[in-house]
Amino acid sequence: MASDTHLEGLRAEVRNWLAANAPKDWRSARTHQDFFKSQRAWFLKLVEGGYAIPHWPAEWPGGGRSLAEQKVIYEELAAADAPRLLLSFVSTFHAFSTLEECGTEEQKKRYMPRILEGETWCQGFSEPNAGSDLAALKCKAERVSRPDGDVYVINGQKVWSTMAQYADKCLLLVRTNSDGVKQAGITYLLMDMKAPGVSVRPIHQIQHDEEFAEIFLDNVEIPVTERVGEEGAGWAVAQATLASERGLTLMELSYRLRGSLYRVAKLIRDHGHENDQGILRDFGALVAQVDSICAIADQFLDNRIKGIERVGDASNVKNSYSRALRAYSLLGVRLGGIDEQYIAPITFGDLNTGNWMADFMNSYAWTIAGGSEEVQRNIIAERMLEMPREPKGWVL
Amino acid sequence: MIELNELTDAAQKAFPADQLSPARDASWQLVAEMGWLMIRTPEDDGGLGLGREASAAIHFEMGRVLSRVPLIPAQLGLQAVIASTDFAERAAWIERLSAGEYAPLHMLSTKLTTGSDGAVSGTISGVFDADLAVAVVAKLPDAYALVPLDAAGVSIVERPVWDTSRRLFDLVLDGYKPDPANTLAQGDAAVKALHDALSPEAHIALAADCLGGAVAALDLTVEYTKMRKQFDRPIAMFQALKHRAADLKTRIVAAEALLWNRARDEEATVTQLGALKTLAAEVYQFVTEEAIQFHGGIGLTDEHPCHLFMKRAMLNLQLCGSPDLWKERSGREALASFA
Repeated sequence: MASDTHLEGLRAEVRNWLAANAPKDWRSARTHQDFFKSQRAWFLKLVEGGYAIPHWPAEWPGGGRSLAEQKVIYEELAAADAPRLLLSFVSTFHAFSTLEECGTEEQKKRYMPRILEGETWCQGFSEPNAGSDLAALKCKAERVSRPDGDVYVINGQKVWSTMAQYADKCLLLVRTNSDGVKQAGITYLLMDMKAPGVSVRPIHQIQHDEEFAEIFLDNVEIPVTERVGEEGAGWAVAQATLASERGLTLMELSYRLRGSLYRVAKLIRDHGHENDQGILRDFGALVAQVDSICAIADQFLDNRIKGIERVGDASNVKNSYSRALRAYSLLGVRLGGIDEQYIAPITFGDLNTGNWMADFMNSYAWTIAGGSEEVQRNIIAERMLEMPREPKGWVL
Repeated sequence: MIELNELTDAAQKAFPADQLSPARDASWQLVAEMGWLMIRTPEDDGGLGLGREASAAIHFEMGRVLSRVPLIPAQLGLQAVIASTDFAERAAWIERLSAGEYAPLHMLSTKLTTGSDGAVSGTISGVFDADLAVAVVAKLPDAYALVPLDAAGVSIVERPVWDTSRRLFDLVLDGYKPDPANTLAQGDAAVKALHDALSPEAHIALAADCLGGAVAALDLTVEYTKMRKQFDRPIAMFQALKHRAADLKTRIVAAEALLWNRARDEEATVTQLGALKTLAAEVYQFVTEEAIQFHGGIGLTDEHPCHLFMKRAMLNLQLCGSPDLWKERSGREALASFA
């Protein structure tokens, strides 16, 4: 375990580096393309500085950091108001941990260095009829012989893939078997987004962003060598993917939300509400709520560092954060009044777009994506409070 | 150094979860024997010299079992004496209060007037278990002082409250002449300093009491839903209840995380701690309000302990400043910090 002095040294080092290198103008990105470019540049800068992949093993430059050290780095990134790494999130966390834990040596050698060069990945998990019930996915893969090695031929559709329109590679879950338990027929593949038969359509979201996309797969051929784990073992591999960022993201986001409270304070002043008791009370309650989500995110990470995380802890952290974010954006909408009902250009990649209505709409990403609030509630109720599951086998 | 979980284990052994609101006088003996009265008393003064976190851990357990022991006002009364370095009888009183004599701080407001002869008349509210007390640490006009209960012009009147785990009294002064020897803090600056020293302790203790109670009320409720059957299944199987129970859990654990964070944070302001107490008390209120609804008809009967938690939650909301007061102050303080 790293000593406090060591951590404080790291903190100072990161802070100094960020002061010199963190982009200041990133909020001026008014198109998604601009945002994409600025994200790529920032990621490469962080790679160069040695702070992009603190969670990777020590053989990688900038890797080998303890959870406590990672926490310091994320705290400083949030405090410096540096842009979040949205574009490289799936590649550095999900693709990395999938390859690291379940990939072949050859897959690791081929893909890890490319991630550091800026190759971006997306996730092809959800489908139109497989959201909260992810294991119900139907995207079909058939194994076919080809002269230069077997391939899987893929047909189907994926949805809610973050920034798939910019991705080079995709972590794809497909169905190789439809008999028996639905989890057992799932296989995990690495797909080239430029392969023939792959088409991507960005999803126009209610807040005028295009953070997500649909992926259509029409007889796409993926070599069998691009499979991670055995055929039919995809569900277990996917668990490794999803567990990789546990806690770090929400800790960073919670501190970013804490750091954003000044925006509400500014609204209160701009509208002359400094002595409005009702508004001060609501602001005061929000501040305490945000403090509590920072505390629970901290506690969660500390418990992970100590190895005493319990099932359901992550669900409590996520649901606490998403509700605080909703409350924050709704207070902004309310205080902004009619101004917020006029459409204004938004900036991308931040929990503050510059328009409170857009922020409010964005906040649904946290109550719906990444395991909906309802799925988290089931986890808390059934696995933490040990309330019994509903009987299975109910047929409509 | 005593470990926190050792303290918690000891408390759970002394006050098991299945015995709610055990008899007050026997509990008081036990609390005194365990040394919890002097948990925050510095070692130099013969106490345990433990931090706020340790104190919070005990109050959390006391909240969990709906303790009848007025430990919070007792600790605060003792701490007022400890903080009063000019008080001639300081050492003697520390010893007496550590050994089990009771001189609580009153937990609600005062309405007092001073006559031309310096005699004080009026009411000091929120004195817990005054029938046990030898004196009360009271905020008199321009001073904090020990008011002995056997002094002339001092009487107590019980004010029955809905919360059956607490007994509240008014201390009634009728021409009471304060003895200057009993003064703990004199003058605006000293009074404010003492108040500011006690407030953080009070807020953390109350927040811990609230969350211990909320945890117990949720446990009780979840257990009930697993046992109660309707439509041929335990009602815990219904998602309509699961999701509400999960939300209660989420709110409790977030508030608890803030409690332990603040208990460790020596820099936390009084307002931040008032906001913590408010958050915790509102979680307690919400959990216990839902607990009765989850229990259905049985929750409305005197036979079931559900209501006891709700009533304690409602009283806790009003102690040490109302939620409206602390939310407003928290809003003002945050607004000023973003100037």
